This record gives sequence, structure tokens and C-alpha cells, in this order.
Amino acid sequence: MATSVIAPMVGKILKVEKKIGERVEEDDVVVVMEAMKMEIPVVAPVSGVLKEIKVSSGQAVDAEQVLAEIE
Amino acid sequence: MDIWTFGWTVALIGMGGTMLVLWLLSLLVLLLKKIFPYKGEEAASAKE
Amino acid sequence: MESALLAGLQGLLDGPSHLELGQIVMILTGSLLLYLGIAKGFEPLLLLPIGFGAILVNIPLAGLMEKDGVLRFFYDTGVLTEVFPLLIFVGIGAMTDFQPLLENPKIILLGAAGQFGIFLTLLLALALGFEKLEAVAIGIIGACDGPTAIYVSSKYAPHLLAAVSVAAYSYMSLVPLIQPPIMRLLTTEKEKKIVMGIVKQPVSKTTKILFPVVVTIAASLVAPLGTPLIGMVMLGNLMKECGVVERLKHASENEITNIVTLLLGLSIGATMEAGKFLRLETLMVLGLGLIAIVLDTAVGVLFGKLMCLLTGGKINPLIGAAGISAFPMSARVVQVEGQKYNKKSYLLMHAMSANAAGQIGSVIAAAVMLSVLKGMGIG
Repeated sequence: MATSVIAPMVGKILKVEKKIGERVEEDDVVVVMEAMKMEIPVVAPVSGVLKEIKVSSGQAVDAEQVLAEIE
Repeated sequence: MDIWTFGWTVALIGMGGTMLVLWLLSLLVLLLKKIFPYKGEEAASAKE
Repeated sequence: MESALLAGLQGLLDGPSHLELGQIVMILTGSLLLYLGIAKGFEPLLLLPIGFGAILVNIPLAGLMEKDGVLRFFYDTGVLTEVFPLLIFVGIGAMTDFQPLLENPKIILLGAAGQFGIFLTLLLALALGFEKLEAVAIGIIGACDGPTAIYVSSKYAPHLLAAVSVAAYSYMSLVPLIQPPIMRLLTTEKEKKIVMGIVKQPVSKTTKILFPVVVTIAASLVAPLGTPLIGMVMLGNLMKECGVVERLKHASENEITNIVTLLLGLSIGATMEAGKFLRLETLMVLGLGLIAIVLDTAVGVLFGKLMCLLTGGKINPLIGAAGISAFPMSARVVQVEGQKYNKKSYLLMHAMSANAAGQIGSVIAAAVMLSVLKGMGIG
């Protein structure tokens, strides 16, 4: 079962920290977002393998938008 | 008026009044949002 | 000829010979403010003119605050009449986005709790022997809002204006240092880790435009003496949200605010004459101001705990700390603190709602206080 990493708020993607296929542990930073002129690290909700990354740096995202999938 | 009557009156009515006014404002905001709900297309036109 | 030369020379030597110890101390104090603004980045837009004003006014024989002095003119025109802080409010309104608050109106009450430090500090100041109206001016530092503090203290206790405004502006920039220990102390491990959902409640443009008008009318009816404050902030906000007076909005947040900030800062610095500023009172005001902001934070967090209890654990009490007016510093502090305890906790948007409520809250608290005082026949 895949678990989604979702954007916690409206903002912009600053940096994608992990690559597809990479193993991530729970609470590892997957993506760094910028919101309200502040850097917000978005972490993996579960441990697993990063199956898909749906955003790239510089991209604007909406709250609840799926950023990546972990399996 | 002695200072403590003054102090406690300002403090209690002040805190209560501030709370009350902000509570009133939160009701007004809820009311405004009910009367003028958000419609999807507005965002699109606002960004243009 | 010789005596004329000597007399002319005397004109150049008079200054140094009139320099008193107090003035030297104040020139150093002004320099310290310059240092804090320039090297440390504490509210440089205000501390720089305040610091420089303080230096200017303590130069012997220069007479900048005497009748016809240039700083006296600025002070009488803008501060004594309360016009400067009010103009700043227009700019603040034009710069503030109340969207987070409109999205999440239930959090507005945190913006009231974050003002309680004002009233608790007022009681403390009375206990320390300050006069009634002085206590009001000291308490208002707890609004954590420069222009509000200046407005109220210039009305009730102009002799404390410099201390009050320096305290208000310095502590505002120290919020990231002052708040975290209190937040940690007052919340349990479990509370710190509470994850709050995602805020996604878009607001219509009509609501955003009507908000400043409705707030002005409703709040001013309850607290009429606060109408200048509320009205100016909301006028600015209406200009921002309606989108049809771009030029006025632009002027308010740039030219007007910039000019007034410069003149206001200088005028405040100008009240820092050695004889008036170097008193025990000043130190007490600075101390009480710090307590005011600590109390704001504490009551905000405690109120957050109450809301947490009432909602069955849905609200993270940490966001209560953002119910003060220091925007957006305080909301950022909450985000950073929250994520320290739970990496999956994203409190920023909730804290922004509380923070925007705190901005309105500080103005409302001042308005309520002015009206209560008027009702009691004081001031």
C-alpha cells in the first residue's frame, strides 16, 4: 500500500531531498517547502521506499497536494 | 477612586471586553462567509 | 579685535564645556540603539532614527527640542497630536493579509488571550507605585505593537513615551527568544505533539472586502474611543483588498509609512533627554514591558490549553503563543517549536491565524481600554 506525502500548506517547493527508489525512514525530510517566507521541511509519514516524486523545485503547490508516494 | 478599584475594574472589564469584541468579530466573519461563500472561479480570475 | 577672536573661539568651546554626565550616558544609549539596529538587525527602521534622535537631543546648546527646534516641531506636529501612529496604522492595514484569520475564525479568541498581559501588567505597575495613567501606558507594551503603544502612551503618559516605545519595539524583535521557554514550560509532551489538520477554507473576495468595513463599524460601536486606531488599520486593509485604489494602497505602505516612520522615530528619540530619561522609572518600565510580553505568551498558551481541552485535543496549545501582535515572527516561532517535538506537525498556518487575530486583538484591547477609562471618567 502506498502512502502519500502531502503538502501541509500552500507554498512553493524549494528542494527535493530524496530520489526515486531511495529508502526513507519515518520523519526523514523528503521535500523542503517555502511558505510565508519560511522554510518548512516536509517529512515522510511512514518508512518505506520512495516510489514516486510528483513535484520539482520551484513548483507552486496547494495545501493537500500529493508531493510523493512511499511504498 | 483608589488605585485597586481602578486597576481591577480596568483589568477585568478590559479583558472581558476584548474577549467579547473578538468573539463578536468571529461570529461576524462566520456570518460573512455564510452569506458570501467562496466560489471556485474567483481564484482563477483573481490570479490573472 | 583680540576680544572678538576670543569670543568667537569661545562659541566653539561652549559645547564641550556644557556637556554633562547624563548627556554622555544618553549619547552612549543612543549609540547602543544604533548598534542594535545596524549590527543586530533589531527593528532597524525604528531604532536607527530613535537612536540618532537620542544623540541629537543630548548635544548641549543645540536646542533641537527647545521652542522652534526642529525635533520639537516634529514631536508637536505628529506625536502630541497622535497623527504619526495613526498614519502608520493605515500602512499596517494595507500590508496585512487577514486571510488566515478569515479561514479560521474560531482561532480569533486566541488573539484576545494574547492581550491579557496588558491588563495584568497594568496591575503590576500599580503595585509598584506608578500612577493610574502611567500604569495604563506601561501595560500597553503588552500589546506588543509599536504604534498602539505610542498612541496610548502619548495620550496618557507622554513622559514615559520613549521608554514605552523603545520597550515595545525591542521586545517585538526579541519574540523568538522570549517565547520558546514559556511555551515549553507550560505545555505537556503530549500537547506539544498534537498534529492539527490542514487549513483549506478559501474565502470569497466579497468577504475579504466587507471584513474591514464590518469590523470598523462593529468594534467602534462597542469601543468608540478606539475608532481612530481601528478605523485607520481597516481603511488600509480595505484599500488593499478592494483592488481599485492601487495607488493609494501603494502610497500608504511605502511613501507614507516610510516618511512617518522616520519622523516618528526621530521624535521618540527626541524625548530621550538625559534629565527626563535617566531615571529609575525608565528601568522599571523596561522590566515591566518584558513581563508584559511574557504574560501575553503565558496566557495565550494557557488559553490554547483550554481550547485543546474543550475541543477534545484538536488544538495544539503552542499556537496560543502566536496570539500576540508581533506578526509574523510569533507564528514562525510556533512552527519551529512545534516541529521540534513532532516532525509531522505543521502549525504555521494555524499560528498565522492566531497571529493575525493578535494584530486585531491588540488594537481592540487598546480600544476597549480607552473606552473603559473614558467610561470611568479618567483620561
